[in-house]
Amino acid sequence: MADWTRTTAVTALAQLPGIGPVRLDQLLQAGDPVDLVGALCAGSPPPPGLGRIDEAGSWSAILASVDPGALAARLADLEITVTTAGEAAHPDRLAHDIDPSPVLFRRGRPVPTGSPAVAIVGTRRCSAIGREVARELGHGLAAAGVVVVSGLALGVDGAAHAGALAAEGAPPVAFVGGGPDVVYPRRHSELWHRLVAEGTVASEAPPGAAPARWRFPARNRLIAAVADVVVVVESRSAGGSLLTVDEAIRRDRPVMAVPGSIRNPAAAGTNGLLADGCAPVLGVDDVLVALGLTSIVGVGLGGAEVDVPSHLRAVFDAVDDGPTSVDEVTVRSGRPVLDVVTSLAELVASGHVVDDGVRVRRA
Amino acid sequence: MLATLASATLTGVEGRSVTVEVHVADGLPGFSIVGLPDASCREARDRVRAAIVSSGASWPLRRITVNLAPGGLPKAGAGLDLPIALGVLQASGQLPAELPSIGAFGELGLDGGIRPVPGALPLADAVAGELVLVPVVDAQAATHVAGDRVRPVRTLTDVVRAFVDGEPWPDPEPSSTDDAAVTFAPDLADVRGQPAARVALEVAAAGGHHLLLVGPPGAGKTMLARRLVGLLPRLSAAEALEVSRVHSAAGLPLPAGGLVSTPPFRAPHHSASMAALVGGGSGRARPGEVSTATCGVLFLDELGEFAPSVLDALRQPLEEGVVRVARAGGTSVQPARVLVVAAMNPCPCGMGGELACRCPPAARARYARRVSGPLLDRLDLMVRVDRPDPAALLGPAGDSSAMVAERVAKVRQLSSARGVRCNADLTGDALDEHAPLEPQSATILERALVAGRLSGRGLRRVRCVARTLRDLDDAGPTLRPTDVLAAIGFRARPLVEGSHG
Repeated sequence: MADWTRTTAVTALAQLPGIGPVRLDQLLQAGDPVDLVGALCAGSPPPPGLGRIDEAGSWSAILASVDPGALAARLADLEITVTTAGEAAHPDRLAHDIDPSPVLFRRGRPVPTGSPAVAIVGTRRCSAIGREVARELGHGLAAAGVVVVSGLALGVDGAAHAGALAAEGAPPVAFVGGGPDVVYPRRHSELWHRLVAEGTVASEAPPGAAPARWRFPARNRLIAAVADVVVVVESRSAGGSLLTVDEAIRRDRPVMAVPGSIRNPAAAGTNGLLADGCAPVLGVDDVLVALGLTSIVGVGLGGAEVDVPSHLRAVFDAVDDGPTSVDEVTVRSGRPVLDVVTSLAELVASGHVVDDGVRVRRA
Repeated sequence: MLATLASATLTGVEGRSVTVEVHVADGLPGFSIVGLPDASCREARDRVRAAIVSSGASWPLRRITVNLAPGGLPKAGAGLDLPIALGVLQASGQLPAELPSIGAFGELGLDGGIRPVPGALPLADAVAGELVLVPVVDAQAATHVAGDRVRPVRTLTDVVRAFVDGEPWPDPEPSSTDDAAVTFAPDLADVRGQPAARVALEVAAAGGHHLLLVGPPGAGKTMLARRLVGLLPRLSAAEALEVSRVHSAAGLPLPAGGLVSTPPFRAPHHSASMAALVGGGSGRARPGEVSTATCGVLFLDELGEFAPSVLDALRQPLEEGVVRVARAGGTSVQPARVLVVAAMNPCPCGMGGELACRCPPAARARYARRVSGPLLDRLDLMVRVDRPDPAALLGPAGDSSAMVAERVAKVRQLSSARGVRCNADLTGDALDEHAPLEPQSATILERALVAGRLSGRGLRRVRCVARTLRDLDDAGPTLRPTDVLAAIGFRARPLVEGSHG
């Protein structure tokens, strides 16, 4: 059996039942993780000060059954990097947070530290407009070089990530609830793997950890801690994204909210934030100004100028960033329907426009 | 004594010849029917006896045996009442023994009246005999296949008087259908706005391409679909006979004159069972809606609410133009050359893409999945129908149905010259011959195939639609890149969950 290394020892400790970020931090403070694993394997009791842990009795058997070589191979196989507080690759803001994060398991690029970062959060059950706004904000911010941080959840989170990826600007970062190898929600499998390939998927949970409910509030605090500004796109009146807002307020991070219709239940929470005096987001520029960046011309909601063949220009200009029907394009462009359908098919083939079955929008 | 008459029974939409033999002999009085009669056919015993007595003839108190040949063919319905009664009268000497060979069908009332039966047209076609006695109401329809052999009969007494006393046969009576029941197609000029849907309707009518309308409730999907039938050409003589035959077999009322002359419009409710939609059911295989809509329009409103298994049963008929209904008693082939127009909401609450949409993403995804990919692959045109904006509602009317129908008729003539009913029927060599691709068009199709946006079946269908588009434009010989691109643009694609709202 291979010897324990710092990486495998930390991973094995994180995988123990009864261990969350707080106790893991305490364990790592207590001494070198390799020595600690050796002692626990030998049957020593856990270091004092952890409080009562019901599962501690099983630890020695669990650790004895772990093959450090196999664990190292698995981490390498999944391309998971383990960083602990104090290491250069560990995000400073997490190491020195009011609720410090001792260990981070990540896939993809390191969490960028030099660039400005904005968290885009919101409800999983958002309206179509909320989804579009999240997408456009993600797109606009990433294009302006801002790191988009979110949670890869359904709804607003996923849309923000998708928008940021499409911009091919600053690579986005996702903090997820389960292990970085546990794809959740399943519907975001493709997005998840794109983030691994082009951005970062990070978690406090060790590989293989299920996305348990209790992990999500802890995950929200990471999002708030890393971001310079937290933008809430749509939130219900008692939504989980308001927990992220609370974490941001504890850390003095500015919180901004996108106004919504008063008839839209998915915007009740965000409208409440605005009523409480939080700054409104009417476009990408507002967020850039809050970051202290001068706004960049052409990166308002609506995207940059796109190069399209001249004979398709009139039809392309009639297509919105949101779903647009052929009827709408026909009326706006003043072209015959068949001409519009032909041009749209060409624009879809060239990737300028995507269609969702019955309507189109700009790619 | 023995009497032999010709009759017929209905299997699916086909009449099958049946020979009715009635034997009256000495012995204990009795009345038995042999030869696979079903329940309603066995009950003929009581109806026949009462009808004969009510008509003033006498019931022979002897041993009566009725044989329905061929013995292996199941006989259904009450249509054999009339030939059995006539056989009893002839075999008991109350009708002259020397008569021309008689064919007959009709249900008897206890008073001796003769009632119409479903399927008069296919039955009359199958009945042998120099004279074919038909209920007065069915006579007009029967004349279209049995010609001047048809003799309308109102009561059993009419028959006895005609044969014994040489009195004239009654005149045929028009069926009781009032004209309102005949398909009434409202005018396309009533539809304001909806430019894309109007074009799609015209293309669908011209080429016989299936159409899917997607949009929120109240946008006008049903209104548009109902107008499609008014754009189609009138039925040819052969088509009219085929449609009438199916409608007759399904027990649908035939219009005055006995023949359906306008393309049928059938709109089954989304709770329809598989048997109701594609035909079948226990006993005789009844034609389904896909058959009664043959040569016309099958409108599937609320496509997403149909049971997925029922919808998938439509795949084979849409491909082949016929339904094969296999039952223990045999297989029945029924026509199913329909133009499908389907309508659905973008999501369960119907508001898809609007702020008011209340559907959770999972429900929306489930809804989009209800219409299977293979079925979508058979729908050639798909358009979004939104509520028209006020300016369009108050704006000028578009082309009327008559104007569009004229353009449609021109394209249909071109199709006939190519040897098919409509462009959607072009396949294989005919497609290569009549719809050759320009080199650039071939490149476009190749790219779509490589990108996975088109299946093999989709390729053929896109070429057919492109052919129709060119026909509607200038009827040139080849498919230009614009024709092919527009055909791809119109093609049905899976609704993507999420991005459409």
